[in-house]
Amino acid sequence: MRKYPLLIIGGGLSGLAAGIRFARFGQKVLILEKHSKIGGLNSYYHRQGKLLETGLHAVTNFARPEDKHAPLNRLLRQLKIPRRNLVLHEQIFSEIIFPGRASLCFSNDFNLLLQQIKEAFPGSTLSFTDFVAALDQYDPFVLKANISAREYVSSFLQDELLVEMLFCPIMFYGSSEEDDMDLSQFVILFRSIFQEGFFRPQGTIKDLLELLLNQYKSFDGEIELSAGVDEIFTENNRISGVRTSAGEEILCDNLISTAGFPETRKLFHSADSAKTFSNSNAEKISSRLSFVESIYLLGQSEIKYLPKDRTIIFYNLADKFTYHRPIDPIDPSSGVICFPNNFQGTEKDDVVQLRVTHLANYDAWRKAYDNKDKSMYRSMKKFWMEESKKVVGEIIGNCIENIVYEDSFTPVTIERYTSKLQGAVYGSPDKIKDGRTNFENLYIAGTDQGYLGIIGSMLSGVSMVNQHILNKT
Amino acid sequence: MTIDEIKNVILEIIQDIDDEADLTNLDPSEALRDQLDLDSMDFLDIVMELRKRYQIQIPEADYPQLATLDSCVNYLMPRLEAA
Repeated sequence: MRKYPLLIIGGGLSGLAAGIRFARFGQKVLILEKHSKIGGLNSYYHRQGKLLETGLHAVTNFARPEDKHAPLNRLLRQLKIPRRNLVLHEQIFSEIIFPGRASLCFSNDFNLLLQQIKEAFPGSTLSFTDFVAALDQYDPFVLKANISAREYVSSFLQDELLVEMLFCPIMFYGSSEEDDMDLSQFVILFRSIFQEGFFRPQGTIKDLLELLLNQYKSFDGEIELSAGVDEIFTENNRISGVRTSAGEEILCDNLISTAGFPETRKLFHSADSAKTFSNSNAEKISSRLSFVESIYLLGQSEIKYLPKDRTIIFYNLADKFTYHRPIDPIDPSSGVICFPNNFQGTEKDDVVQLRVTHLANYDAWRKAYDNKDKSMYRSMKKFWMEESKKVVGEIIGNCIENIVYEDSFTPVTIERYTSKLQGAVYGSPDKIKDGRTNFENLYIAGTDQGYLGIIGSMLSGVSMVNQHILNKT
Repeated sequence: MTIDEIKNVILEIIQDIDDEADLTNLDPSEALRDQLDLDSMDFLDIVMELRKRYQIQIPEADYPQLATLDSCVNYLMPRLEAA
């Protein structure tokens, strides 16, 4: 039977980062990835001779090379990837728009947001400055009980519209909780979105994944694809090993699961072990938030009808911005529109890409997908994509035409390819902030450990190995 | 290993962690972290690299003894004698 000092479930960004960390100092580690491709929630596929990304709109946490303590640069040092080997394209600017009410633009220069708030919300300028000063003092990495971010933000900012506008991108880019979030998560996202900002690495997510994979392999890290974990075995409050989908039993000294909190619980087949892992009921640890994401490839002639300067638009048309599971299959009244071609210095492409995200109702999509009549799911997709297109047309001021290719992923698609229950890309609302579990050699890394986004999930993998496994034996 | 050899090992490890680190004007009696703008994550790399290269285990409780270049030498000297 094979045995490893460290086994990692999941070859997504957090799993790869954790693997690099451990392998770097000469220790044997094996990553087991269920899918035939690495990347997890941030992967890719090919259609129309084009590589299409599944998760990535933009990477948050932009930082200049000289800012050594910035999350991005700390991460790269930890992975031993020289910053100068990467070409990063910064966003032009992004916009939060609540049509007919207000618009706020922001870029990787925080002063733009300050200026915009001064103009749109003159009465809130001073309180916003106090608010930012308080956030700067806040350490989101110190473990503490959950605090309502809504209440905290409203204690500084009286203008409810401003509060909603600030929450809109923050929730869409990382909240697994309905209509509120934990303050620590809010602070992490506020910094990574507004104070640090958006960028894209040159190339595609595939290039980034390959860079990580090559680094991992250069340290002799091992990885197996199409190798899911079916069961986790325990022995006296410790994990002894796993059984793979191929039926092989592999032993380990330590196990890191990046599959997610509720997803990991499902891997304990004995009721006692599952209970030891977590006593919370499944409802509480599962997120109700999932999304439909659409990709449009448009002919070059469409470019003149699209915004040229905005990288991402976060919009809301409803009277009140809400962030919860909609009643309908999707809720087009709010969403995110991303223009991947609008990053600084990116090369011109023969097709223009547009990506749109809306909140979705998992149950509705699951019901349609499971229906004997397979056309149900397809026609539901078609209907709601048309609804989405109408709204997007309203927001960007032109209808989307000349579509060369379009595709959308529902929560069911995401669940099928990533094993994320209910397609909940931001994971469980119940975060395991220290990564520890009731089993002394099992740790949770990735989205459900509570660091968010692409940089965050990688830092999560790195931190869990650093804190719990490296130099402990 | 001699004092200078140990110092060089430490400097080489730091250069490997951050190849832009300026090691020319390092004060051996001052904290490395303050002078080099390193954080605790980088610091762990020094410990792990020493473990990988010389098989020496440095428990967490001893980390403060690696704070300066001089204290590193004092701490590592008896442990690297055989190396």
